[in-house]
Amino acid sequence: MPKNPSDLTTIDRLIHEPTRLMIMTQLYVVESADFLFLQNQLQMTPGNLSSHLSKLEEAGYVEIVKEFIERKPHTALKLTKKGRDAFKEYRKSIKKVLEDLPM
Amino acid sequence: MIMNKNASLNEVEKKTYMSYHQDGLIDIFVAVYVLLFGLGILLRTVTDFSTWFVIPAIFPAVMVPIWMSAKKRITMPRIGYVKFGVRGANKLMAVFIGLMVAGLGTFMAFTFASTQWSWASMLRDLLISNGMIIMGIGTAAISGLFAYTMGLKRLYAYGLLALALFLTGHFITFPLEYVLLTIGFVVLINGFVLLARFIRKSPLTQGDGTNAKKPL
Repeated sequence: MPKNPSDLTTIDRLIHEPTRLMIMTQLYVVESADFLFLQNQLQMTPGNLSSHLSKLEEAGYVEIVKEFIERKPHTALKLTKKGRDAFKEYRKSIKKVLEDLPM
Repeated sequence: MIMNKNASLNEVEKKTYMSYHQDGLIDIFVAVYVLLFGLGILLRTVTDFSTWFVIPAIFPAVMVPIWMSAKKRITMPRIGYVKFGVRGANKLMAVFIGLMVAGLGTFMAFTFASTQWSWASMLRDLLISNGMIIMGIGTAAISGLFAYTMGLKRLYAYGLLALALFLTGHFITFPLEYVLLTIGFVVLINGFVLLARFIRKSPLTQGDGTNAKKPL
């Protein structure tokens, strides 16, 4: 929890990056999705999506499960509890920052 | 891109729902259900074989596994798999259960009331004589509710079509079975058009997308 939510330095930069923000937003509104679904929704290349997912996984925000379903590879993705909390906190912080700005 | 500066979480959620139901499968299965109802009533009228009416009642038990299998074989290999969690699915389920409970409660209260008081009995007769109007308004309202919840705009059109046909049925005495068959037929055609468009727009993908060999 940031001490002063309207302080821009407290914004989670890992989530703030536009592509990762899209990934986090998409995963936030569902329980889980697979790699192909996310790629189609966000219109991203596999390499680009993979690299951003790796960063989110390293931070503990996203859980990536690689498995085989009916002998076909399947990559399931979901936000972890930490990821969901971080996203909620990010929303709160960015909202506060934008509200505090003079018109 | 899914997001723009005005996009809210609800809009993202609706777009996700929408993208998952643009394959037309839900339209096809709802249409078959409505067509079965229409056929059931028509056949009962023609053959006086009242059990025809039972067919639509067992439809969900038979067709839901088929629908899920179709989703698995047609939709998921093309656009991937998504599990809607606590937000969307629960919201939709809450709407559905709420409608079912409200409908059942009203029906039971009304059945009881019509045996007790003459005004309730008169009201029942009035409702039966205006059944087509009530069904039209009910179908339009339910379609509108689902359209709003799921973000599927074509459900508004289906609701309006149903309302128009039921009202026509009431005012020019167009039999219920033909109203149902017309609605079912229009929705079925639209479902197949959507399915064909979906298959053309979303070719099969090899693997799980991480290796991205598209199209197959």
